[in-house]
Amino acid sequence: MGYLDGFAVTFRKWFGTRSDTGRRITVQYPEETRPKPPRFHGRHVLNRYEDGMEKCIGCELCAGVCPARCIYVRGADNDPEDPRSPGERYGFVYEINYLRCIHCDLCVEACPTEAITETKLFEFAFTNRSDAIYTKSELLVGDDGRPQQLPWEHWGDGFDPAEDTSGWMRATAPSGDASFEGVVAWSGELGYGVRSPEGGQTLEQETDDDHDDGHHDDHHGAGH
Amino acid sequence: MSERPRPIEVTDPVTITVDGRQVEVQRGELLIDACERNDAYIPRFCYHPRMEPVGMCRMCLVEVDTGRGPALQPSCMIPTAPDMVVETTSERVTKAQDGVLEFLLANHPLDCPVCDKGGECPLQDQTMAYGPGESRWVEEKRHYEKPIEISPLVLLDRERCILCDRCTRFASEVTDDPLIHFINRGSNTEVNTFPGDPFSSYFSGNTVQICPVGALTATPYRFRARPWDLERTESTCTVCSVGCRVTLESSRDRMLRINGVDADPVNWSWLCDAGRFAFEATNSEDRLTEPLRRGADGSLEPVRWSEALAAVADALGSADPSSVAVLGGSRSTDESAYAWAALAKGVVGTDHVDAQLGDGLPAAVFDLPGATIDEVCRPGGTVLYVGPDPKEELPVLFLRLKHAAQRDRVRIVEVTPTSTSLTPYSAAGVRPRPGELAAVAEALVAGDAPADGVAGVSADDLRAAAAVLGAADGPVTVVLGRANLAESPQVVLDAAAALSALPGVRFLPAVRRGNVRGAVTAGMAPGRLPGGGRLDGDAGWSGVWSTVPTEVGADAMGILAAAADGAISTLVLLGADPLRDAPDRALAERALDRVGTIVAIDSFPTPSVLRADVVLPAAMLGEVDGSTTNLEGRVSRVRPKVTPPGTARADWAVAVELARRLGATWSATSVEALRDELVAGSPRLAGTTWAELEAADDGVLVDLTGGGFDPGTPAPVPQVDSYSLRLVLSRELYDEGELLGRSESMAGLSRTPTVGISVGDAERLGVEDGTPLVVRGERGSSTLPARVSAGIPRGTAHLVHRLEGSDPITLLSADEVACDVRVELA
Repeated sequence: MGYLDGFAVTFRKWFGTRSDTGRRITVQYPEETRPKPPRFHGRHVLNRYEDGMEKCIGCELCAGVCPARCIYVRGADNDPEDPRSPGERYGFVYEINYLRCIHCDLCVEACPTEAITETKLFEFAFTNRSDAIYTKSELLVGDDGRPQQLPWEHWGDGFDPAEDTSGWMRATAPSGDASFEGVVAWSGELGYGVRSPEGGQTLEQETDDDHDDGHHDDHHGAGH
Repeated sequence: MSERPRPIEVTDPVTITVDGRQVEVQRGELLIDACERNDAYIPRFCYHPRMEPVGMCRMCLVEVDTGRGPALQPSCMIPTAPDMVVETTSERVTKAQDGVLEFLLANHPLDCPVCDKGGECPLQDQTMAYGPGESRWVEEKRHYEKPIEISPLVLLDRERCILCDRCTRFASEVTDDPLIHFINRGSNTEVNTFPGDPFSSYFSGNTVQICPVGALTATPYRFRARPWDLERTESTCTVCSVGCRVTLESSRDRMLRINGVDADPVNWSWLCDAGRFAFEATNSEDRLTEPLRRGADGSLEPVRWSEALAAVADALGSADPSSVAVLGGSRSTDESAYAWAALAKGVVGTDHVDAQLGDGLPAAVFDLPGATIDEVCRPGGTVLYVGPDPKEELPVLFLRLKHAAQRDRVRIVEVTPTSTSLTPYSAAGVRPRPGELAAVAEALVAGDAPADGVAGVSADDLRAAAAVLGAADGPVTVVLGRANLAESPQVVLDAAAALSALPGVRFLPAVRRGNVRGAVTAGMAPGRLPGGGRLDGDAGWSGVWSTVPTEVGADAMGILAAAADGAISTLVLLGADPLRDAPDRALAERALDRVGTIVAIDSFPTPSVLRADVVLPAAMLGEVDGSTTNLEGRVSRVRPKVTPPGTARADWAVAVELARRLGATWSATSVEALRDELVAGSPRLAGTTWAELEAADDGVLVDLTGGGFDPGTPAPVPQVDSYSLRLVLSRELYDEGELLGRSESMAGLSRTPTVGISVGDAERLGVEDGTPLVVRGERGSSTLPARVSAGIPRGTAHLVHRLEGSDPITLLSADEVACDVRVELA
């Protein structure tokens, strides 16, 4: 057919389907949204443990690793009578500047306590620079484990807090444990963010017994 | 690790083989240092170049073949010998390092994310470089209560400790405060204090710096930042005049930490806790941040700089030059001192300028032939120590003297009014009665004494001290300071004049404030021009400045006396607080009452500042650029790390701006230009230009030859009143001064004031420790608990300046050579 072969693509698109998936690509955003990929990097949340304690210990590893230098953290002493996090230290200041963040997720990789994770939320637009700097009180999840909706964030039909927040996929296993490969490891705290295994992975939750030597988590205190 | 091997001179070379390379090293030098100097760094935890090796951590194992085949040996314990063959990277060595690290990590909690050391931790770094990738340890680790406070400044996390013995060795070996030690056995071994006896050492912060893990942390820095937040610059500490080299470390424009740098001629990497933690005052809420001017209603109100400067320029320019006086300047940089000397002497034309407040030593001590700290501590030498307790006023000098006496066979003869922390290390000591130091100095030089002794010192004691001086190998060096604020400084000059008769003697002036020597050298003393020249000799400054004063002015006490008589119309207080520090409170009060205009340039609202008519906020340590001169005459750079709060400016910038407003032709307008102008006109400062200082990390010594020492009129010997005790008023390191009183962690560490009396006087009065006593002088009285001490000679009462709840300086009067007080039961 010669040059007409090229038009095959054009005609297929004309009728609104993609050759490999059979799905239409162009959608009527924002009325319609496309499903987000499983590892989509959106805005961050700071997580809590089931008892409400903050996971962040203010170690600043996220700020140290951040290539865009958009994270500012300061630690402080926990009040032994009223601790914010398990252990001695908590994140006293936590700020992310979304005018700089490139959503590379290195902060999530660096976090030793799974305190910072990314949601799939990307629809937020600011009218001034100070709104773009998310503070700790804005990033921290609520008592129910759900992120807080800020006035300038669009949580349309496409955003499901149960599916689209918090659950964290490790790209590498803790402590470089080779047997960890192919296992979905996450912390679906407070019931949110539990995701389905990806292709080739088994659905096996990480437990303390399995990976004890990878977890010298002294922020858990003395009961190790 | 940040420590570097001690600089040595190779005098007796031997050839050894390091990793197949033939290298020349000093015979007997430790292998670990010899290898490091020859680019073969050996990892280590316990070895510190400034402390004796112990071979505790086993990390520095290397293969050494001394003829009987290679064997693993700790390189920190092996002196070099000819034909040694050393392997630092062989398979056996690597396996040994890997194994040692696995053992060290067996009980280490790996809580790096919450540990302040994480990011600059030798254990972390060396585990990454030499350690195993994974742990085989599955057993329970040790657990301790964490952290425990071993002193108000230092916290200890015992779980993190790897038992390297560095802190405990430092405490017992370097400072002789053996208050922390290993307790328990086996895997339960831990470092701890003795029950109820905290690690209250003046040098405790050094243990935090040398800890190779995060076991020891300092309260002022704990959880403030992570290492990768910090920005560093090298500078010089100006809290006292020793001039220790430091790194200033800040994050987000806030000073967070100071660490010692190993300057071989000065501080050997050690710092005292005052120098290490007093930076907290720079972050104090009390800082003056904007110019103030006394308003119509009599209160100080914020004004703009231009208005404040115009008011100051007017007060300086409209007054008769001989009625203008400048007090202070010994806390700032050489360049600030020079700028103010140039403004006062070269623009305004007054010579009433004094960097000190009558509480230090007269400028004449810098005309004596000078000795450096290294010369004083020369192995095998003999030192005559005349001055204050070095641990209280010049702590790092104390460490050097103590090391010299304990390890380098230096013999110290102590001539102090009471016993000091140096007494245990002294070969001989005499305690002259305050006011009669010169007579004792004369007897020591003569080597003999009348049978009934001199100035309260027995003939036997004097002969014993003179015998030590007489047996000296080489010339004697004298550390010359002012031990007693209640004694006229003239007494010290008279003693120095007597001691000058010792053959080849040289002096180390133990001045106290940070930059007294620099300020005097820059011309901030009456009768002097920058560079040490006299007003009456032609030093060439008339060519640089628009004018040079013709008459010699008054010193601090003279200025205050003139002010009290109404002869001073404008008084500039350059970081000086005569109301607190002048050794005559009543005179200072009257002086400040009668001065027309008081201009205060200061960082804090001191009592004198609150009396000022115009207040200009000044930048302080860590905020100003320039250089400082330590007590031995070593000029080194101070560098700024953070910006001053509000609109505070460096002192020199204020002087330069005022000179411009007064229409002066003199116009150096940068620190560099001020430095180079000062050096160009001062032959004795040759070699200390800005560029030369930038190139010299350990500073540059000025010419110490001295010359033209004029002790002035000898002080009369005061009559002994047998009903009274003679007052010794000294200082302690932790006082309620401007810096420490405003440092969060240091405030409140000062001791409870007491009145120290001898055992004999205590028996006579029938008192014991804690009995309330009234100390009554002509000027006032105070009631304090007694402290009975064997270190205080009979007939002497010992008080301390500026402690919380006690103000003994009110007892003093400027025109007395010594101060007698009655001590009675309350």
